Amino acid sequence: MTPRIVTANLVVRLRTLSRENSAMFFTVAFPVILVLVFGAIFTKPEEMNFDLPVQDLDRSTASAQLIDSLAANAVFKTSSVPADVDATAYAREHKATLVLIIPQGFEQMQIRRLQFGDAEASAELTYIQDPSSTSVENRILLLNAVMAAVNQRMTAVPPFIQMSDQSILSRKYRFIEFFVPGIIAMAVMTSSLSGALNMNAELRQKGILRKLTTTPITTTDWLLSDILYQLVLATVSTTSILLVSYFVFDVRLHINGWLAVYLVLAVFVFVGIGMMLTPIAREAESATAAANAFLFPMMFLSGTFFPVEMMPGFLQSVARILPLYYVNEGLRASMIFDDHITSLRCAVITAGVAAVVFVAGAVVTRWNREA
Amino acid sequence: MTLTPEHAIVVQSLTKRYGDLRAVDDVSLTVAMGEVFAFLGPNGAGKTTTVEIIETIRTPTSGSVSVLGMDVAKAKRHIIPRIGVLPQGFSSFDRLTVAESIRYYARLFGCKHTDVDELMSLTNLGDKRDVQFRHLSGGLKQRLGIAITLVNDPEVVFLDEPTTGLDPHARRAVWDVLLGLKRGGKVVFLTTHYMDEAELLADTVSIISKGRIIATGSPDELIESNSDYMCMTLRSADVRAVESIRNLGFAPTPHGIDTIKVRVKHTDDVQEILREIKVSGAPLPSVDVRKPNLEEVFIGLTGEQLPANHAAQGDER
Repeated sequence: MTPRIVTANLVVRLRTLSRENSAMFFTVAFPVILVLVFGAIFTKPEEMNFDLPVQDLDRSTASAQLIDSLAANAVFKTSSVPADVDATAYAREHKATLVLIIPQGFEQMQIRRLQFGDAEASAELTYIQDPSSTSVENRILLLNAVMAAVNQRMTAVPPFIQMSDQSILSRKYRFIEFFVPGIIAMAVMTSSLSGALNMNAELRQKGILRKLTTTPITTTDWLLSDILYQLVLATVSTTSILLVSYFVFDVRLHINGWLAVYLVLAVFVFVGIGMMLTPIAREAESATAAANAFLFPMMFLSGTFFPVEMMPGFLQSVARILPLYYVNEGLRASMIFDDHITSLRCAVITAGVAAVVFVAGAVVTRWNREA
Repeated sequence: MTLTPEHAIVVQSLTKRYGDLRAVDDVSLTVAMGEVFAFLGPNGAGKTTTVEIIETIRTPTSGSVSVLGMDVAKAKRHIIPRIGVLPQGFSSFDRLTVAESIRYYARLFGCKHTDVDELMSLTNLGDKRDVQFRHLSGGLKQRLGIAITLVNDPEVVFLDEPTTGLDPHARRAVWDVLLGLKRGGKVVFLTTHYMDEAELLADTVSIISKGRIIATGSPDELIESNSDYMCMTLRSADVRAVESIRNLGFAPTPHGIDTIKVRVKHTDDVQEILREIKVSGAPLPSVDVRKPNLEEVFIGLTGEQLPANHAAQGDER
């Protein structure tokens, strides 16, 4: 290994990148877009609210109070359905998948129950629902919970069973906070693996590798400069992801030495895998196909987008042989749980994989045209 | 063969096999110090395989190759800093400028004192200093390739088809650079299929066909020793003239619309052909009789036509 040659290569790669505006843009933009999209989808589910058209056939103070209780709950946004229309026809016409009907005589029944203690008196509310809607079941459950609370309040007795939850984590974490380390790992993997593979295929196709074989550069020099280059890209994309997560979604994670360790290890692993694939992807087109064949299964099976525990047992076993799984686990252990033991265990496994694929990558990357 | 310091390259009984195919078959050649050596051959004759073994890119199946007194199989690390190679279809990093490309290769060789301006001036690239590689024409790319080949001030320069695909103007510009190298005393190993290039530049020419060397010598020697015939060119020859030449037992070959060429052994043959044409009643064509040139010798030796000249594809800017 010659530092002079490694540096010269690194300078060439960075200079080329700085002159390719689209490459620069996508290095930063791709992971950031993913964070923004998934962040927007998953960040604040508590703020979700559903439209709830209500047909008040009683038009009384009691029914108005009930509607106010529904509106007070942030989950439902109530609207009024005229009393003289058929609620089912209204639901069809307005594409409403859930309509609540408060029957006539609601207030009277309430007075009988509350003022005269008539246990026989009750009111039956009707849901007009579209069972083909995927969310209607959940909305009915939420509506039932609101009604149960209203019933409980009417008894004027505090509920006997009280619930409280306690997180296994020192503070409450949101999905986006679990998601960010996964996106960091995925961005590094995509850039390193396809970057190494495409660069080599392109240089071979153009004949530049042939010229390089007649210079003092060695495959180790080339691999190391590629790793340094990918490390620069990984640092840029990780910084962008963390900044966007912090400023847009207020994501606060533990940023410590483990992050740097995992960036280095991930770059070694995925550049190494990219190099290992070069003999089967000699042209740019086949390089992209070969890269995708590795990237997509790894992306979906290694717990980037959802926890591995959600997958069937045999797929969980598959996940445990994928290097991205250990990068994801290790990054989450350090960035979310501050769990140094798990971070160390995953780092050791990742380092082992890195050593094997780096050596294998160097061996199979033959610039010699006979290879 | 005794190796002497005058020999820059010595190839002895070199063979390269790919399975059952003998791409290079028992090739031996020597290149003296200060010599421009042209390696000629039709496509697929084994030129590039031979050159790439000498350049240390490929390994031979058998035989020995030494460059500057060092065995290519054992001393690759020591040979590479002392040679310069312009591979066939040279290309560089698209977004590096001319000056940056030269500087990059100079750094690979650890040459701190490479004079980028001097190399650009030697290859007439001075005004293209800050132009990115992707914006250069074919001829300029080749000249940059030659400049890069010289970054380490090599003692032996290998140029694999340096003017293929260039227009006549761009080819001449590359030749000027190569003539400059020749004057500077560099050993130049030139692979080409342009005979005019070899005739103009080379001290020694070797012709390879089907993996074997079939002739070696200076261009004049090759022409002299392989020209036991003369080329008779007849312009404005009509069908009757062609027929009468055939009747005499010669084999006329058409060149263009109304021009034919005939190989003849003696001046008597020329007279006989003209007499027969006159007898046939055909008008007498204009006639030119001369010794064969290197291209005709090459075709005679290899039995193959040269690849089409792609000169029109170049676009010198």
